[in-house]
Amino acid sequence: MKSDLDKQTDVLIVGSGIAGLQSALDIADSGLNVTIIERSPSIGGKMISLSKVFPTLDCASCITTPKMAAVANHPRIKTMTYTEVNTIRKTADGFDVDVTQKPRFINEDECISCKKCEQACPVYVDDNFEYGLGVKKAISIPFTNAVPQLPVLEENHCIRCGACARVCPKDCIDYLQEPIPQTIKAKAVVAATGFEIASMGIKPEYQGETLTNVISSLQAERLLAPHGPYGKVLRPSDGKIPDSIAYVQCASSRDQSIGIPYCSRVCCMYAIKQAMLLAGALPLGEITIYYMDIRAFGKGYEQFYAQARSMGINFVKAKVAKISEDVDRNPIVRIDRQEEGSIPQDITHDLVVLSQGILPSRKDFFGLDITLNEFGFVQSNSPTYSPAKTNINGLFVAGVIKGPKDIPDTIMEAGSAAIDAINYIRENL
Amino acid sequence: MSLLNTVESAEPKKIAVYVCHCGGNISDIIDVKKVAQTLSQYPQVSIATEYAFMCSSNGQDMVINDITNQGVNRVVIAACSPALHETTFRNALKRAGLNIYLYEHVNIREQASWVHKQDKDGATHKAIALIKAGVEKIIRQDALDEIKIIANQRVAIVGGGIAGMRAALSCARAGLKVSLFEKRSTLGGNLNRESLIYPTNQTAQSVVDQLGSEVKNNPNIDLLLNAKIVSVNGFAGSFQINFIDLDSKEQTIGSGVIILATGFDHYKPYEGEYAYKTSPFIVTLPDFTKILDQSAQPKALLYEGKTIKNIAFIHCVGSRQMDGVDTPLEGKNLNEYCSRVCCTSAIFTINNLKIKYPNTGIFDIYSDMRTYGLEHESLYEKASKNDVLFIRRPLEERPQIEQRPDGTFNVTSTDVLSWNEQIEANVDMVVLVTGMVPSDISDLVDNMKLPRSTDGFLQEVHLKLRPVELANKGIYIAGTSQGPMDVIETLNAANTAGVKAVSLLSLPEILMDPFIAVVDDDKCTGCGLCISECSYDGALTMTDKIVNGKTKKVAQVNGALCVGCGACVAVCQPRAIQVAGWTLDQFEAMVDAIAKE
Repeated sequence: MKSDLDKQTDVLIVGSGIAGLQSALDIADSGLNVTIIERSPSIGGKMISLSKVFPTLDCASCITTPKMAAVANHPRIKTMTYTEVNTIRKTADGFDVDVTQKPRFINEDECISCKKCEQACPVYVDDNFEYGLGVKKAISIPFTNAVPQLPVLEENHCIRCGACARVCPKDCIDYLQEPIPQTIKAKAVVAATGFEIASMGIKPEYQGETLTNVISSLQAERLLAPHGPYGKVLRPSDGKIPDSIAYVQCASSRDQSIGIPYCSRVCCMYAIKQAMLLAGALPLGEITIYYMDIRAFGKGYEQFYAQARSMGINFVKAKVAKISEDVDRNPIVRIDRQEEGSIPQDITHDLVVLSQGILPSRKDFFGLDITLNEFGFVQSNSPTYSPAKTNINGLFVAGVIKGPKDIPDTIMEAGSAAIDAINYIRENL
Repeated sequence: MSLLNTVESAEPKKIAVYVCHCGGNISDIIDVKKVAQTLSQYPQVSIATEYAFMCSSNGQDMVINDITNQGVNRVVIAACSPALHETTFRNALKRAGLNIYLYEHVNIREQASWVHKQDKDGATHKAIALIKAGVEKIIRQDALDEIKIIANQRVAIVGGGIAGMRAALSCARAGLKVSLFEKRSTLGGNLNRESLIYPTNQTAQSVVDQLGSEVKNNPNIDLLLNAKIVSVNGFAGSFQINFIDLDSKEQTIGSGVIILATGFDHYKPYEGEYAYKTSPFIVTLPDFTKILDQSAQPKALLYEGKTIKNIAFIHCVGSRQMDGVDTPLEGKNLNEYCSRVCCTSAIFTINNLKIKYPNTGIFDIYSDMRTYGLEHESLYEKASKNDVLFIRRPLEERPQIEQRPDGTFNVTSTDVLSWNEQIEANVDMVVLVTGMVPSDISDLVDNMKLPRSTDGFLQEVHLKLRPVELANKGIYIAGTSQGPMDVIETLNAANTAGVKAVSLLSLPEILMDPFIAVVDDDKCTGCGLCISECSYDGALTMTDKIVNGKTKKVAQVNGALCVGCGACVAVCQPRAIQVAGWTLDQFEAMVDAIAKE
């Protein structure tokens, strides 16, 4: 039985990506209590799935996992994973937040994370964490560094064979678990719900959904990650080590025709970073980046771009018109190479990465009447006074919920939302 | 009793060594299995293992588990730089109930795998040597207690631009006292002007006024205008800021935290750089916005008696400079960085110019158009629709400016957008889109020993882990003192500096590493050499003490003032004075271990 105390908090944070984690730590470090609601089975958000991060080239885990551990061990932070926020209601003294804890179908208090269930399970399913490149078991711990280290049984795929229940040394498996709805009272809310990348089919000319060797930038992150699906860089169609890899920049950004006119801010830099990592992983590989403008605007980014050029990465100023494939499933990129006269060229590569743009992860905002901008991101109501404030008093936003941005900028916004939440509570409640 | 041997533990020393893969950063170069195996054979090492991410929850749990269940009482972690994760692992030790100083962090990433990429065997060998040295050090390490400092609940903020004001308000609202120092007579810094700012289209002055009036009315904020900082002493929790006030009197204010919001200056081209100063019609972007604001002429911009019909904007003046292409003035560094805000700022100004004087012809010469923000791209779109002629120059080329006898200019550039055609633009005025440089705070940098990055801006500890902290504890940076930012980014950065100050001061005491000098009274001969060597006033004094029943002169350390530099250690012949945690015994054993390899 959860006590009533569990259902009250000073600040409720929606989302536990790098923005939510950092806000939580900043708020809790200043003495307030925080509850984080995360819909995935682990905290960590998108960042934990990345390989290395620009411009320092630290492994993403090396930045994220310590923050995850700090959150998990913080005496004033409570995390509720695998929990959906349904509605947020403004009340006289704060917010009522209706959440539903989804069933993992295990006894969370008893589980010792031994992974025996995972080993025994005979059912393989697509691994979301690998963005479709790998498989996992129908009952499994979501990924190596997941926090908490609790398995989730995927109800839709489980065949109820009982293999997991038989091997579980703590008798934890509970096929009959039900969702648990509850309401949490919070004095203030920080929304940090992050982003999704645009779908691979969004630009039909690129055939991102049909061509096997055209992958998304997040899939490329996984190929390069230390615990990636194949352990090395291989292309999906035949497992061949690609010799020639191309990046298509602005694949779904700065493009009125698909309804995403804005710049997604991070794609230039992650493409450069991935290209550098590929150059390290495949010393003989040839890497080309087709771009419109290289937007290396952050601290140390221009120098990072210069380093990539000196490593021999080809930067070709061209907008890719379309992508097709040959009989061997090698993607063919049609470009108009602006530096060399107006003749369209078809160039064959082994693997093409689409630098997909960033979209808001939510269209609804939990029933809140929050002001969005024309692109669907949350609009600050005082950008030049205190940018984390929204039109709803007591609700603050951090990170990509407000628009595309990189990790350093996101972390700055997290701190900004944190101090606003702290001071709002201090002054109003 | 000396601090050096507070707990002479009776239990045998049980050392565990953990080798981190750092997600490939280490293990791609260094043979981590071999390293762990070699260390497992080393005397007194009872556990030696490797793992993909030691800093993750799993990795930390492994350490905690070995301490709790295997009786490990000394920990060596070979991983990244301690700047990244020393605190992470200290917290893990704390949770396991082990003294946090019984852990040694060995950096085999920056010091081995990253610098010896071409020599994997050599890197592996070096990692082994470094870790053995770490083991030898930790064998000779005893539990130490952190120094506790009662923190002054005041924040000193240097700089009254929007970053300083935002940080001041955030701290003051959280209940802290704030002293806001501004060297000028007004608040607002570079935004103290009437021109419009993007993306909100309000005047810069209105941003300053909103923050400024709140600053002036907040009872927790002491506003010190016309104040010049002379020097800063002290440490986190107890700084003393010495400054000259508006009456030219020298004053001192104490604070627990310092926030540096010293801002930026606009890059000033030197004479002849892009023909600057060779004609009044070669102006910088900040100058041009003023000219545009002040122009009351109805149909066309009038400047210095001349009607301006055509203008060329040249981007990246003083930014993205390249070796062999750009020539800085003697003694100045190349500004290799992108100044982030100038592309959008130029486009925004052009759009405003087009509203006021729609018939002005505009050539915009750029290399990459960095209108990166959510609304910024639409400004660029609008400029394109406004008949601005964009000329994209190759990365390594610079446009040439030639003045004609009629006073106009020929600006020539290669244009990538028209397949490398040479474009010649005849214009009445050239606007140099200048970037940001750090404001001149060299006195403060020298006095406070502040770290700066190669681009001259203040250097944070880590862009993602500790983005507003300097290596000097208790000192934070806010806004463009760190690097180019726009208004919104600056306010976010300032708020982040604010929340760090609030967190640090939320506890009554600040904990500091006890790596300070300690004296063995038995060995001390009272010669006083150490005191004459010490550069920190009052850190070391001579005192009379009763030692073994006899009164003798011995050196005495003031823990709050000693910085643990070790200068005293070097001159002490009887080895009576040592730096806790870094004793001579430890150093010698480390060097021996490396030499044996």
